[in-house]
Amino acid sequence: MFGFVTVDRSEMLGKDFDAYKAIYCSLCKQLGKEYTFLSRFILSYDCTFYAVMALSLEESCCSFITGRCKFNPLKKCNYLKNNEQALSKAAALSIISVYYKLKDNIADGGFFEKLLCYLLMPAFSLWHNKAKKKYPEIEDAVATMSMQQFEVEKDKNCSIDKAADPTANMLKTIMSQLSDDETKSRVLSSMGYFLGKWIYLIDAANDYEDDLKHKNFNPYVIAYAQKKREHIDDINASLDHCLSECYLSYNLIELKCFKRIVDNLLVYGLPKKQKSILYKENKN
Amino acid sequence: MNPYQVLGVAETATDAEVKTAYRELAKKYHPDNYADSPLADLAEQKMKEVNEAYDMICDMRRNGGTQRSTYTTSNAYSGTQYTHTNFPDVRRLIKEGRLDDAMQILNGISGAGRTAEWYFLMGMIFSRKGWTEQAFSYFQTACRMEPNNQEFMSALNNMNAKRTYNPTGYNTTNTAGCSMCDICTGIMCANCLCDCCGGNGCC
Repeated sequence: MFGFVTVDRSEMLGKDFDAYKAIYCSLCKQLGKEYTFLSRFILSYDCTFYAVMALSLEESCCSFITGRCKFNPLKKCNYLKNNEQALSKAAALSIISVYYKLKDNIADGGFFEKLLCYLLMPAFSLWHNKAKKKYPEIEDAVATMSMQQFEVEKDKNCSIDKAADPTANMLKTIMSQLSDDETKSRVLSSMGYFLGKWIYLIDAANDYEDDLKHKNFNPYVIAYAQKKREHIDDINASLDHCLSECYLSYNLIELKCFKRIVDNLLVYGLPKKQKSILYKENKN
Repeated sequence: MNPYQVLGVAETATDAEVKTAYRELAKKYHPDNYADSPLADLAEQKMKEVNEAYDMICDMRRNGGTQRSTYTTSNAYSGTQYTHTNFPDVRRLIKEGRLDDAMQILNGISGAGRTAEWYFLMGMIFSRKGWTEQAFSYFQTACRMEPNNQEFMSALNNMNAKRTYNPTGYNTTNTAGCSMCDICTGIMCANCLCDCCGGNGCC
């Protein structure tokens, strides 16, 4: 369930996109620094969003320096200057969530998927231990999510809300940890809950056909059986509802920096992604 | 508190600009949007700040002729305006955020005790928990059972509005009066009528 939280570039100012790219590159660099070069491959847009939020809540805004990209030495990239804390948190989240994803796949994936996961596991175990030590609160949140998800999937008549609850709660917890201020923390947890719910549900909508074929757990398959086409607007409404609540919560917080990036994500990026996933087949 | 900062306008802004900024913010923090949200109190606080800031600017500029007309927060169900309730305890618990306790009481009621209000309050609890689909279905049931209940209806309408994501303009029910569009159409119609009466079409 990675890569759904993206910006809409066409609605973005050039300088904002540069800043967004710089955060992305800095997170990649941070992963390399803390968890070896190979871990850079797990960089995702979702964790970049977490980094953006963490950075935007910091007291001082960031400045940038220019460096070279490790993957393409000819390319020059901008990197953030001294914002280790936020980036390190987002890097730990990347590692921990991929680790649990692998564990999950080993439990119920296909043969080749399992094999691949087994091969990757030793490296990730090592990195995971390191991340766990540094940020036990993130580890707690993701571990709880993984455990609850396992429980929830036993229910053959699981409702949409119930299925999305573990992921939503996970993001709720880790978002609320981004601020020490009580009011801000409350707003962030509400935002996190609905964003987490949206991420889980958009993933479910995206995997609908696959899950139907392979008889995997999917709340939309349970709710609408074979009739996704007829219920596409219901699915859209359930996702829209999450975004509305997320945005209403977001309105109650004032961000110091990168506000335009977060605005873009919530106002254009997420709905665009949602439309492209739900209505993609309708074009033919 | 600098009222201009609260409204996000410069001190040199014209009265009209101040008013527009105020309207935008009042729309953003309108209690209708947060009625079934656990953040209702924060939205209310923001709304208060915005109202106070606008009042302050209006007072300061009174000689300039700005009229004050702040939004009031009295609407169908932002407060305790329901006329009759069979579940005063449940409503109190929901307001205090003790959702599990409220749910427990409601779950203890069965059969004929599950009135429209029961479904409405279940919807409220689920909505505050973030279980949006369940909440929606409970609100729908409440409205089907008692279609004339103002409180249930406005809760459902608000929720329906949220099920179409429209981040740039939350329309609440407070759209009394006429917009520029209405005025335009009005003038066009009047102009047509004038034409009919043999006027020169430039009344």
